[in-house]
Amino acid sequence: MDVELAKPFIKAAVSVISTMAFITPRAGKPFVKKNSVAQGDVTGLVGLTGEKNGSVSLSFSKACAVAIVKNMLGDDISDIMNDVKDAVGEITNMVSGQARAGLAEKGLVFQGSTPSVIMGDGHTISHMARTPIMAIPFETDHGGFTIEFCFE
Amino acid sequence: MAMLDGFRDKDFLEQVTILNEIAASKDISNLPGLMDLFRRPVGDTSIDFMVVNALTAVLSGNEAKTVEGLASGNAGYRTLCIRVIGEYGFSSAGPMLTSLGENETDPDQLQEILSALSRIEAPDALPLFRKHSQSPDAFTSALCVEMLGRMGDTASAPALMALVEGNETDESYERCELTTWKAVEALAALGTEETLGFLVEKLHHKNPTVRRIITDTLVHTGEPSLPLLSRVFEQGDTDEKILAANLLGFIGHRKGADALVAGLDKGLAGDANVRYAVYEALGRIGTMKGLICLMDGLKETDELILMAVVAALELHVSPGVIKALTALLTKANEQSDRLARAVINSKAVRLFDALYEFEGAAAALIDALAESRDPEILEAFRDKLEEIGGDRAEEDLARLPRDVAAARKALAADDSRSMLALHRSILTDLGFEPLTGANGQEAFAFVEAGEPMELVITDMNMPIMDGMELVEKLRSTEGYENVPVIMVTTESEASQRNLAQKAGVTAFITKPFKPDALKAKILEVLGA
Repeated sequence: MDVELAKPFIKAAVSVISTMAFITPRAGKPFVKKNSVAQGDVTGLVGLTGEKNGSVSLSFSKACAVAIVKNMLGDDISDIMNDVKDAVGEITNMVSGQARAGLAEKGLVFQGSTPSVIMGDGHTISHMARTPIMAIPFETDHGGFTIEFCFE
Repeated sequence: MAMLDGFRDKDFLEQVTILNEIAASKDISNLPGLMDLFRRPVGDTSIDFMVVNALTAVLSGNEAKTVEGLASGNAGYRTLCIRVIGEYGFSSAGPMLTSLGENETDPDQLQEILSALSRIEAPDALPLFRKHSQSPDAFTSALCVEMLGRMGDTASAPALMALVEGNETDESYERCELTTWKAVEALAALGTEETLGFLVEKLHHKNPTVRRIITDTLVHTGEPSLPLLSRVFEQGDTDEKILAANLLGFIGHRKGADALVAGLDKGLAGDANVRYAVYEALGRIGTMKGLICLMDGLKETDELILMAVVAALELHVSPGVIKALTALLTKANEQSDRLARAVINSKAVRLFDALYEFEGAAAALIDALAESRDPEILEAFRDKLEEIGGDRAEEDLARLPRDVAAARKALAADDSRSMLALHRSILTDLGFEPLTGANGQEAFAFVEAGEPMELVITDMNMPIMDGMELVEKLRSTEGYENVPVIMVTTESEASQRNLAQKAGVTAFITKPFKPDALKAKILEVLGA
């Protein structure tokens, strides 16, 4: 059942990032993570409650996050740190919203929390879960990002 | 049809009201009208969305009509019916949905069908699940594999085992596939002696994630895995014995404790590490037989094993345990000193609380405590003494050293409580303030918090983040490029030392070891 939840998130991520940032991500082969630590330079994280409880994170490499911001804002970047934070938060929110709408069509209703954004080169964040965590790697022409799912 | 007559000419608010009423009443007579609106949308996103909702509501009240919809020529309507069937569990759709799935070539649509079939657990769909359990799409195959387990398809057991083994080849073992995860769970769900036996055999799977999933799954399976694990404990080599003892402890079933006690009686736990694991497991399970065994364990002379015994008894404080401990502690011999140190170093505050009543025992414990230089331990027992109160506690409090906080800090990571306690006591003896974590991640949190460490001691295998990863992270952290790292390994992990050395480990020590050996190693790496 948990694998069913992943597809709408993949679709949403591809659609949101290609629409908003004109970057088309290519989904790689999903796998089960060794540990509960998400690693990246910028991470957007949302909590989900409803059918099941859990969290979903989008962790971007620095290059990928910056490329997204540049494509979204053009040359109008005033404070790169703040803009990256805003953009990743916004993208996470949109992906979460669109994916939840997709899940609701299948009768799986989730509420999403407001996203949090964590920044810092090579930072780690922990999903609180005892169950295995599913990760889906994405490639773009500007570096990669990973979506991770973790449900109770 | 009456409600939807002239719908397109009505204004927005009227349309909303009508659709809401239909969704609430689920009146099937509105179906033709709704289908017309679905096929030829009005063009307003919110109204069109409400039409879908109303249609879903009406269909949800009528199984026969929904199943009929599977034959519709309109792909959108067909998908809607498939989703309604899944959501509302319309099991009569099984045969038709299955035949639809057999002819479906579009992967997305196939996923919809399989997902609905999985939710109604349609028996007819079993061949379809079998077929697509080998699908190149990881999500589709994972879903099908999960279903094979849920539907108890023992005929698929060999295929499921092949999936787990396929993840062990030289090209594939570095990543745990979704299907492997689901195959392990499915094999456990099948629950036959053969499938559980296979999982027990694969406890040493090449991929660490798969290993962990198998371990968790067997623990979750509980009682049915007990006989198999007991057999491994009896017949396996040292490593297998330790692993089996750990799992029996986590399962926490009485029969597991019986098997461990029987094993001890038969002399199967001659190896110190095995004995250590057995005592830890017995503490987790806590049966009467196990407790008697633990009381015997109080005669152990190895400090580390004694700490495991004490930590196990700490979980089962009873008048019998306290009586026996009091007798041993008041003997004033080498063993009573060792025991007192074990109670203090493993921070067994509950045992301490109960033993303090007896003056002789209390005196032995306070002697050991007064020698401790570990601020955390001192604080824990100081709090306890303050809570106990009275003249004697006041006097004892005055005897304890104050302000022992050391300026030098050291980090220790181990998932065994007793090992951590041992590291604490060794590090404080050497004048370090020890910071400890039950896995790499907890330990690394101290580093991230900016605590400067002069030394790191870590176990190799730990849940969440293992020692190897911890070392890699440390080495890529500013200021930690050269901090000495000692890794604690077992004999059988020697093969992985090469990798660990590459990751940046400074020195190794093999379990079991005497506290003095680790002390010497620490001084060696610190160049003292």
